[in-house]
Amino acid sequence: MKLLKIDNNLGQFLDKSGEFQPIDRITKENLLSLVDLTLNEEVEFDEYDEEKIRNQAHQIIYKSIHEKLRGLRDRKQEFIDESERLYLAEYERYKDETSQQAD
Amino acid sequence: MKKIDLHIHTIATIHDSDFTFCMDTLKRYVTEANLDAIAITNHDMFDAEQFRTINESLPIAVFPGIEINLDNGHILLMSDGSNVEDFESRSNDVSRRISQIGDSITVGDLEDIYGNLHNYLIIPHYDKNPSIRGQTLEDLLSYVTAGEVDSAKKFLRAIKDETKLTPVLFSDARMSDGLCRLPIRQTFLDCGELTFSAIRACFGDKGKVSLSDDEGNSLFQIFDDGQRMSTGLNVLLGDRSTGKTYTLDKINDVFEGVKYIEQFSLVQRDEAAYEREFKNEVQRKRSRFVDGYLSPFKAVLDDVMNVDLEGNERSVENYISTLLKSAEEADRRDAYSKVALFDETAFPVRDDKVLKDLIASVRQIIENIEYREMIEKHIDIQSLKKLACELIELLWSKALENKKRQFLNGLIKDIKESLKMRTSAVQVDDVDLYRVSMETRKVGRFSDIVNSLRKESVIFEESIQGFRVIASKSPFTKAGEILFASGVKTSFRDALKEYGDPYRYLQALISDGNLVRSELYRLFAKIEYKILNRDGFEVSGGERSEFRLLQEIKDAQNYDILLIDEPESSFDNMFLKSDVNQILREISKSMPVVVVTHNNTVGASVGADYLLYASKEVESGKVTYRIYSGYPTDKTLKSIDGRSIKSHKIILNSLEAGREAYESRRCGYEAIEDR
Repeated sequence: MKLLKIDNNLGQFLDKSGEFQPIDRITKENLLSLVDLTLNEEVEFDEYDEEKIRNQAHQIIYKSIHEKLRGLRDRKQEFIDESERLYLAEYERYKDETSQQAD
Repeated sequence: MKKIDLHIHTIATIHDSDFTFCMDTLKRYVTEANLDAIAITNHDMFDAEQFRTINESLPIAVFPGIEINLDNGHILLMSDGSNVEDFESRSNDVSRRISQIGDSITVGDLEDIYGNLHNYLIIPHYDKNPSIRGQTLEDLLSYVTAGEVDSAKKFLRAIKDETKLTPVLFSDARMSDGLCRLPIRQTFLDCGELTFSAIRACFGDKGKVSLSDDEGNSLFQIFDDGQRMSTGLNVLLGDRSTGKTYTLDKINDVFEGVKYIEQFSLVQRDEAAYEREFKNEVQRKRSRFVDGYLSPFKAVLDDVMNVDLEGNERSVENYISTLLKSAEEADRRDAYSKVALFDETAFPVRDDKVLKDLIASVRQIIENIEYREMIEKHIDIQSLKKLACELIELLWSKALENKKRQFLNGLIKDIKESLKMRTSAVQVDDVDLYRVSMETRKVGRFSDIVNSLRKESVIFEESIQGFRVIASKSPFTKAGEILFASGVKTSFRDALKEYGDPYRYLQALISDGNLVRSELYRLFAKIEYKILNRDGFEVSGGERSEFRLLQEIKDAQNYDILLIDEPESSFDNMFLKSDVNQILREISKSMPVVVVTHNNTVGASVGADYLLYASKEVESGKVTYRIYSGYPTDKTLKSIDGRSIKSHKIILNSLEAGREAYESRRCGYEAIEDR
């Protein structure tokens, strides 16, 4: 799934409805949903290319967000491993507990 | 039968409290206790001159010996006495190596010093502190002839257990000039002439060692006058003021490891105070249980308390808004804001927890001894070691990388701040999206745990003779319940409104300044701890005393002797007969028990192994206290000084208030039955 693309010399991001929007319209909620997708799905982004983006504002925003999401994608496996092990022993101890002997 | 005590001290060393050796005391001990052999075993030293003096002064076998600190446990080592000079010179080597408290030698040292250890009797402290255990015991085992214990209970336990060494019970006494009570711990050997090799042979056969000369292991000595009692269940009878409690006190004084349930200690004198005390005790137990049960949850909570979801959301918002603004003003950038580092982001610094956990898991497999065989069946340990090394090296390089990143992040931050001071351009606020996402996951897992914790269920259940101790958990439904669990006077009404969302509930608790953060873990689920009677209701009144008595008796398993003074003082006969008698019989199978009683339900129905009768007798104007003893089937009970008394009479007098009262009661019962 592509989350960031460069089209018509503009940086664009995928919104929740599956439509691409200009990158300068991105909100906090949009970014958080892109973060979720990056960590949970197979995602790709168009590489940042200053030549392909004419608009200077788009350059700055696309570059920054692209770096952030790419950095996150690179750590995806680490994130999965770490989050699966979060409080795992405690989680299993209290989960569906019906009877347990104390000392 | 021969009576021996192979553990006697005659010199005060650094391991003893100070005392002065007295030959008369030793002679008196040997004579009055009818000993056939002793050994002199001082700590880490042997004095040949003193040994010879003792040997010449006593008409019995005396063996030269030494008590050695071996790997921080103690062993007795004795020679046959054929070459005292040689034994002294070897033992002097021990003294040189163990010159101060804390010094000890190894089994290897022992072999170096004494040569062939099979030439000696070697007796480790076995079920006695400081004991020889683990690898040291393994290494020593081929030389060991017997193991020393320090109570009749432990002696019997070792006798009954085929896997244990032959036990021996010795006095470990200091023969000082001030010794007023003679030792009562000795061992009997079934042998003819008492030679060094005969002792060794007896130790090789558990059937040849015992606690008494004529009654095997069913009786053992309790007082230095020779008074004995059963290693099982003893009933001590007697009229008022005949010395029964005095006798229990004396046993309590003579022995270590005594559980003494004194008379009236469980009686309800003040109902309200008693109930309060009982409830406090239950509350203490509850508190201990809750702490134990919730300690893993507490660790989770301590971590989640540092998560600020709102703050995280704000930092994402700041990032986006500063990014958009900075883009908007792109054309107004000056020399400072155009510097590449102006909007540079920090390098992520990882804590590599997963890698660290993985290394710990691999190490656990490598180091596990208990399941080594099974592990080696499936995995090549050498490969696993290589894996561990590789993982550790990776961790090192990651740690180095992190160090570099931390250094660079500091540098970038400094430069960014300097640039920002010189320009009016907007700088992008950085955000760590990995951390933001991970913390959201943390809160999710935390909520799952809290929801599991709140599910209604019984988490602990224990039965004690019909009573049931139950711990259960359920959600809080009223603010008052949370108030009770917290013990802090504050309002929980607002917090309770957020109870459905564990994280928001936590935030509500944190915002209450009256609550201590480290105690919040108790406020997520209601944990009840109750003691229920046979009918499933919470205990009340007399049942509390019953429960406490049963618990006290149960607790006695951790001791060597149990003494109970008149349990009938506060219990009805049905309880005594059905519960107390049963549990006393049970516990007396593994340790000596003495029950003082006037009650026929206890005295006549408990199934005593041995009867003791305390009597106060006036002879020529002088009061003498005597104890008569014997088996319940004996027609007469006998005292140490040779007197006897009819068993039937004392049982009727002590338990039935005399023959007349007994007959009249019997007739009364028969009359009722006839109707």
